[in-house]
Parts: sequence; C-alpha cells; structure tokens
Amino acid sequence: MTSPNPEGRPPEPPQLVEHFFRHESAILVSVLTRAFGVHSLDLVEDAVQEALLAAVQAWSRRGVPDNPAGWIYRVARNRILDTIRRQKIHQRVTAQLNSVEAFESRVEEWLQEERLPDSLLRMMFVCCHPTLDRRSQIALTLKILCGFSVAEVARALLISREAAKKRVQRAKKTLAATQIQLELPSSGELPARLEAVHDVLYLLFNEGYSSTLGHEPLRDDLCEEAARLSHMLCEYSGLSTPESRALLALMLAHAARLEARVDSGGNVVLLEDQDRSRWDRPLIHHAQQWFERSKTDPPSRFHLEAGIALTHSLATNIDDTDWQLIVQLYDRLIALHDSPVYILNRAVARAELGDVELGLAELMSIRNHSQMRHYILLDCAIGRLHERAGNPDAAATAYTAARSAATAPHEQALLDRKLARLTAEAPAICSVAARAVQGEKI
Amino acid sequence: MPKFMFLQRSGEECAKERSPKEMQQSMQVWGAWMSEGLSAGWLLDPGDALQPGGKVLQRDGTVTDGPFAESKELVGGYCMIEAEDLEAATARALSMPDTGGVVEIRQLAGHSME
Repeated sequence: MTSPNPEGRPPEPPQLVEHFFRHESAILVSVLTRAFGVHSLDLVEDAVQEALLAAVQAWSRRGVPDNPAGWIYRVARNRILDTIRRQKIHQRVTAQLNSVEAFESRVEEWLQEERLPDSLLRMMFVCCHPTLDRRSQIALTLKILCGFSVAEVARALLISREAAKKRVQRAKKTLAATQIQLELPSSGELPARLEAVHDVLYLLFNEGYSSTLGHEPLRDDLCEEAARLSHMLCEYSGLSTPESRALLALMLAHAARLEARVDSGGNVVLLEDQDRSRWDRPLIHHAQQWFERSKTDPPSRFHLEAGIALTHSLATNIDDTDWQLIVQLYDRLIALHDSPVYILNRAVARAELGDVELGLAELMSIRNHSQMRHYILLDCAIGRLHERAGNPDAAATAYTAARSAATAPHEQALLDRKLARLTAEAPAICSVAARAVQGEKI
Repeated sequence: MPKFMFLQRSGEECAKERSPKEMQQSMQVWGAWMSEGLSAGWLLDPGDALQPGGKVLQRDGTVTDGPFAESKELVGGYCMIEAEDLEAATARALSMPDTGGVVEIRQLAGHSME
C-alpha cells in the first residue's frame, strides 16, 4: 500500500480496471454465498457492500493497495465472521464449515482467478432457479451477478424502485426457503436449467439493446454484462453448448453496432440510417468465430437470430444486404416462435426484396396485436415501406401517427427527423409533414 | 497560514444503497481531489472516515451507545486543510466532489503559546 500522507508522500492516483467494484461484488457475493449457504445471501451482500464502502474511504485517502481484491475480501470476511458471532448463528454456520480455518482455505481456493467462473456460474443457476419466475430471475441476476443496485435494477428494467426492491427481496426469500445449494445442475436437469439461463441472458441483453428505450449508459452496461456472462458460459467445459455459443454470437454481432446507434447529438439512429463505418469490425469477427463454433441441427432461435444479425453486420449497405437469406431465416424463426416482432422484421425484409405490397399487408395484419400497441417501430416500418413504394403521403401519415403516439423525447425526435427528411425529399407533401413536425394530429 | 478541519456529515442510509459502479466513481473522484491537495500542499492530512457506532460518556459516569445525533448529522469523516481565511477554505470545500451530505468548515483556534 502507498504510504499515508502525514509523512508527506502523496498517494499514487487510484487506478483500477473499469467495473472493478462491480465485478468484485459479484465474485465475492458468489464465493461467500457458496461458503455460507444461500440462506445467508443477505448477510453476505451486506458485508460485501460494507467492504466496498470501506475501500472507497480508505483508498481515496491512501491510494489503491497492491492487491485490491484481497483487501476487499478480507474486510468482507471479517464483517461476516463478526456478524455471525454477534448473532449467535455461529453453530449453524460452523456446522457446515467445520472450522473457520477450513472455511478460509476453501474460500481462498475458490477465489483463485481460474476458479472464479466456477462460483459465478453456480450463482447464475441459483439466480435462474425454477422456483423463481422469469422477472425475478432477471432482477436477481442483475443485482447479484451484474452488481447493480436496486435503483439501477429499476432503471434498467423500467420499473419503480419499490417494485425492483420487492422483486429482489421476494426472490431472495424464496431461495432461502428452498434450502438450495450453490451447485451446478445434474446432467439430467442441465438442459432445462441451461435454457432458463440462456433466456435470462437473452432478455437482459434485449433490455439493454432495445432501441425504443432511448440511450443511456446503463443500457450499454446491460449488454456488456449479458455478453460477459454468456462468454463465461461458453468458456466453461460442460456448459458451453451450441445454443450458448449462438447466443454469444448474437450478442456480439448486435453489440458491434451499439456505438453507431447513437449519433453525436445523442439521438437514436435506426439500422437503415446508421453509419456503418462506425460498426466494430473486430467484434463482428468474434461474433463470426463463435457462430462458426455453434453449428448444430436443428438450429435454435439464437442461431437464426445470430444468422440475421451477422447478415446485417456483413453487408456494406442496405441494398447490398442479403434480404433473401434474411426472409428465409425469419420464416424459420416464425415457425419456431410466432412473434409479431419477427413478422414486422420479415415484412421489412420482403419490401427490400421488392415485395412492398405483401410487406405492407403483413404489417397491417399485426397492427392490433397486443405487443404492437405503443410500439412505434411498427408505424416507423409502415412509413418506411410507403416511402419505398414511392408513396410519401402515406409515409407521412404513418410517421405522424407514430409521432403523436410517441411519449419519450428521443422517440419524438427520431420521428421528427424522419418527417423532416421526407419534407426535404418530397416538397409536394411539405404541408402535411410540416404540420406533423409541429406535432399536430392530422 | 490558518488551518481548517472539514467535517463531513452524511446519512448512513444513502451509503447503503450505493451501487458498486457509483462507489468506484466516488473513489476515483475523491482520490483525485485528495492527491491534488497533497501535491499542491493545501491538504495537510487526508484524515479518515469514522466508524458509525461508538459510545457517549456523560460526566456523571453514564455510558450509552451512539449515535449522538440524527443520523443525517453524523460526522462520517474529516480532513485537514490550510487556507488564507474562512472564505478561501469555503471555496476549497466547494471543490470537493459532491457525494451527498454536508461539509462543516471549522478553523483551528491556533492560539499562540508565547
């Protein structure tokens, strides 16, 4: 550790890798819960939180110690042991551990760099345990494995802080009551348990990626964390399945476009308008490599979605895109899972192939679907297809409908830009669009 | 030059809800503030944080457990600086990272013994 000041030497400016606290929190909560049992999760989380706070207080004054992870671990461990002694739950815990010394040697072994995925993935299966509903699984994964606070969980999932808090607390209570262990599922259980983990990671990523939600750094964190956990899964022998690898390929292919989805003014930019030179080529290359390693028959929806994402990533522009392949992949996806979002995207692809009428008819057919209510991307797509068909009037009407339904400022701005561009390109509809830009209902 | 003590008063509750990400950011900005002060010389002692618990001793010999005040008024940490006068010290306190709570700025009496 750098020396404290009174002797005069200023501390080194604190240097830590990005997300060090967040990842250290996930590691320590997982490893210590593995030692003390799932029923002690609250106790462990509090101790780790206190240890991180102590680190803030000490390190900001005296610099970062040589082994920051070891420092936080020692503080957290001491807090837990103190609490256990105070609360007289000592006997119950030491019954599992035999002795504090035995506990320490085991924990220190688990804390070795190469052993970390072992504890983190066990915790992943606990967070995605079948006794919890999907929403609780997602909230708990964010809280424990991504190191999000309750407030951040709320912001990431667009729910109230109270709702997030309740969801996390209820999940922990359920887990504590089930007496489950921090272990990997048996081979018989594994396929179903792994499917739940894949689903949660996929949904986490989508929450972060969804372009309708606007841009904030926390959303990129969601994508990054989902990809990090997926990558851990893919590197772990016995858990890396063709589906895990396709899921990772899918995330990386999308993540490569994250930067280009926001312009310099912070506005959301849709795929068709993105500056493709800003796509992350090395990441696309990684996505391709994982996709190559994911081959299986029949392909899962992750394979099909990854195939679509990669087809976009490899095209130099909209016209150069292999829309035929994209339509085929959506056909197979819709056969697996009938989602209006897939139908929407297939309709857009059809229009790109020249079949605008069929595309429009399909878009109209999903208008009343419950998932499409308040989904401004549908009216965006309808507008785009009308533009494609050389029908700017109808395009303006669709964009205007979307504009008047849009509530978030970034959505309104997106549609204002679409309408303004339409006006610039087709002066004939100037008056319609101009009124629309002003936000009037037509 | 006159010496000042900065007493940082803040609630325990808000600290408990901070996320690892926020804590890391806080550590970085505070670390930068402290090391700037130490290199420039106006920070005499980066001080320390105070543990939340404690005892209160009455002069009649009664001892009670802390806390001593409303939790939002609890002193959570301190540091020592030097400045021209109270105004300059206050300006210095304004340059501290804002991580919640209030800062009390008190000049050391510094009575001469001559």
